[in-house]
Amino acid sequence: MMDFWILLWKATLVVGMAVFAGMAVWVTIGGARDIKRLFKRLDEQHRRGER
Amino acid sequence: MPLPLANVLSRTNFSALDWGIVAAYLSISVVIGLLVRKYVRNMADFVTAGRGLGTCLGIATLTGTEMGLVTLMYSAQKGFVGGFAAFHIAVAAGVVTFFVGLTGLIVYRLRKMKVLTIPEFYERRFGRRTRILGGVVLVFGGILNMGLFLKVGSIFIVGVTGLSAEGWALPAVMTVLLVLVLLYTVLGGMISVVITDYIQFVVLSAGVIVITVLSASAVGWERIFGTIQAEMGQKGFNPLVAEGEFGVEYVIWMFFLGLVGCALWPTAVARALAAESPQTVKKQFMWSSVSYLIRNMAPYFWGLCAFGYIVTQSPELHSEFFPADGSGEGMDNLYAMPIFLGRVLPTGMLGVISAAMIAAFMSTHDSYLLCWSSVITQDVVAPIMKNKMSTPGRIRLTRILIVVIGAYILYWGLVYEGSDDVWDYMAVTGAIYFTGAFALLIGGLYWKRASSTGAVLALLAGCSAILGLGPVQKCLGVDIPSARMGLIAIGLTVVAMVVGSLLFPDREKPAAQAASSKEDA
Repeated sequence: MMDFWILLWKATLVVGMAVFAGMAVWVTIGGARDIKRLFKRLDEQHRRGER
Repeated sequence: MPLPLANVLSRTNFSALDWGIVAAYLSISVVIGLLVRKYVRNMADFVTAGRGLGTCLGIATLTGTEMGLVTLMYSAQKGFVGGFAAFHIAVAAGVVTFFVGLTGLIVYRLRKMKVLTIPEFYERRFGRRTRILGGVVLVFGGILNMGLFLKVGSIFIVGVTGLSAEGWALPAVMTVLLVLVLLYTVLGGMISVVITDYIQFVVLSAGVIVITVLSASAVGWERIFGTIQAEMGQKGFNPLVAEGEFGVEYVIWMFFLGLVGCALWPTAVARALAAESPQTVKKQFMWSSVSYLIRNMAPYFWGLCAFGYIVTQSPELHSEFFPADGSGEGMDNLYAMPIFLGRVLPTGMLGVISAAMIAAFMSTHDSYLLCWSSVITQDVVAPIMKNKMSTPGRIRLTRILIVVIGAYILYWGLVYEGSDDVWDYMAVTGAIYFTGAFALLIGGLYWKRASSTGAVLALLAGCSAILGLGPVQKCLGVDIPSARMGLIAIGLTVVAMVVGSLLFPDREKPAAQAASSKEDA
């Protein structure tokens, strides 16, 4: 039974870390793009509000 | 401070180069946080960044907020004492967050309603008195919950840098870190918070991966498992065995806490409310489930590596943490992970890792400070004043409250002396809010007969969770495990909501329900 748990936690850790590493790269690139869009959107909202 | 402990802390690889890296990171982060404050024009900008978060930025800020230094510290502590069995907490959090993202449970509907805070939903669904009471309960539980963040975060800095754990260093580190966070949060609100969260995500995620790899190689992958097997046996791997740290009751409680962490906890829900659309919320939560898994599992593993290192490679630390004669208490095991990192990571890398950990510290503090202060302004003070407060007045009050809450957590970090495990302290204090919120959100969003009387009773019943806190149990002379107390409190809130709603139904249909019926028609 203990072997099952050891295998389960080993697999969870390795797979989880690998997916997290991939996600971190994607979010880093996509997040920079989202920040640009956020500022653009805030500028537009403020311009509309001033008019 | 006993001399051996001072010696233990001082034997770190942390050098002037590392201090330079940390200082550079802090300066860049705070300056960027200050530069973007010009975008704040109204309360929606200040509290939800104008509801303009895309999927990736939402994941970054949610991860940055929820992967705080306090989380990393208490998780490492849990891994150190509970072994690999503690991994079930991470798995529960990941699975439940993915389920919430897939189904949109709670968060989708809240975002669709365009509320700024959870108590604002209470008002739309149950009326103003529920909003005010809900706001008070949320702030009480939330601020109490945040009480140990500063102290625990500072213990990491002290442990990894080798500063003195007593005397001037701990309060000084606490004060400097807090002032930096207050500076950009007060001025830039949510916009500064999400931008700094993004930077912190980049640094933090790289740090998490590097620490995990270096920790495993320092101790040896197979040796970590072998040590836990030899020292803890079955209970070090199987969370369900009764004689271990956990047990079935605890595992059920952790699944509920998984739901709380992503769908009920105000700082996590704030990210959903700031998303650019309800569909974005679903994607954001599905992907963030990976972060929710890793935010606990990685530090559990570091705690396990620290355990393996102390047991197999450092007899000196072994005698500090596990005194052989049993005469005195061992060293506080919160120090185990930072001391381990201070010993095994090389100079230079230690500075980068410390910057990552400080990133974790700051990204959590800024969001929590903003969240609780905006709830007091929006959900307690403004409704009491019958919403006559102007936008500049609201922003000014929120800024003042951020500073007041900051002063409180500095004070609480210095005076609280409860002996609770940090994770259990946080679960219990958080439960004061979230057990009631669970009944109100589920009842309010998915049960048409939920009434305002049921809501008020559920909020009051949720306060029973405070009985799970160590010092409170000591005062009352009782000893109930915190997991059991939490489950009892949930049961009480659900019963209060159902019985109160059936016995005292609302005479008028609440605004939110009326709007929803109209939409359905």
